[in-house]
Amino acid sequence: MNAENHDGENASLANDGPSEGRSNSCCCRSVLKSGLVIVALSSFLALTTNALRSSGSIDLSRNYFRTLQAPVNPVQEQNSNGSNSEVNPAGNTGESISDQDTTSGQEEAQPDDGIQRLTFEDVHDHFMTAEEMVGMGESIVAFVDARVRDQYEEGHIPGALWLYHYESGDLIDALRPQLEMAFFIIVYCNGGDCEDSLYLAADLGSLYGLPPENIYVYEGGFNEWKEREMPVVTGSEAR
Amino acid sequence: MDALKRLDSTGIPLLLARIVVGFVFLSYGIEKVSDPLAFLKSIKNYDLLPLEPTWFINSIAVILPFTEIVCGLALLSGIGLRAGGAITSLMLMAFTPAVYLLGSSLVGTTAEFDSLCNVVADCGCGSGAIPICNKLLENCGMLILSLWATFSMSGKFRGGLST
Repeated sequence: MNAENHDGENASLANDGPSEGRSNSCCCRSVLKSGLVIVALSSFLALTTNALRSSGSIDLSRNYFRTLQAPVNPVQEQNSNGSNSEVNPAGNTGESISDQDTTSGQEEAQPDDGIQRLTFEDVHDHFMTAEEMVGMGESIVAFVDARVRDQYEEGHIPGALWLYHYESGDLIDALRPQLEMAFFIIVYCNGGDCEDSLYLAADLGSLYGLPPENIYVYEGGFNEWKEREMPVVTGSEAR
Repeated sequence: MDALKRLDSTGIPLLLARIVVGFVFLSYGIEKVSDPLAFLKSIKNYDLLPLEPTWFINSIAVILPFTEIVCGLALLSGIGLRAGGAITSLMLMAFTPAVYLLGSSLVGTTAEFDSLCNVVADCGCGSGAIPICNKLLENCGMLILSLWATFSMSGKFRGGLST
């Protein structure tokens, strides 16, 4: 593409006279054609690279930001029905969080999006239960870390399984036995405006077939966990 | 207007536009290509694109970084210069209001973010977390340079396969 030739139309843009309109149109067509070539080349390179990536590729057909349509929050259902204490996320362990104040406070704070959320106090109790059961070789509580691998290795809740939300399709099969065994699957990310735990919780129930009533999100996330000076494990191992 | 034409005829603004916009788009594109999932999250955080159908937002996250790279290369090499400049101009015209909206939505969310120019955020552009006002100024400057590369009539410093 010779600069003189390529810009021949451009030079003529400066000319006055009857040929100006034709030159303008010719230049526009040339730019449009080159633009289409750039877009086509970019698309080809992008889709090929995405298909050949071993990790970190985007599945074009997957909804990474799934939200639940129907509320599955048993706490809310329980309150409206006035019964069924066994599905209370805090009460199931028979420990201290089953009091009405905590539950109603939780309910007020929870958006009606079908995701069951836990406060730090709830998570703390479940964590203590899980720690007690580690020695017995049982695990009814599974913590799931939805963050990127580097963040998980920098520090995670002891025992937490790494299930990066955006690569969960590749990771879920290896973790499925542990998740299916757990009555409480507590998903977290960094907290604050991090929404990956919410999306992963929705996927675990609707995409990967785990019981939605067993899935909870710790909204305070890892940042709150650290602020509360709770134990943290570093490295790639869960414990 | 004559002064602008004289300035353009020197070819210096065109050369500056090619180098600055070319390198910036190339580097930002490479940064995004290295972690497309992070870029997908950034796009979603703007809440401007529809999430359905899913392939739409996913395709944008896959293709846009490569478009930036190819446009950057077009500007640096001079091959497809006007088209590269036109596409970068269009991208900047779309991104800049989006960055403004993102910054505005964060005003007041924390004590430090009491005004737009005090908001520091990662716009997903590839530059990391920077003050939003700086980003807006940078984008406006880049938009002027991109438009210059698109409409410049200078025959100097155009690059291309042969000069």
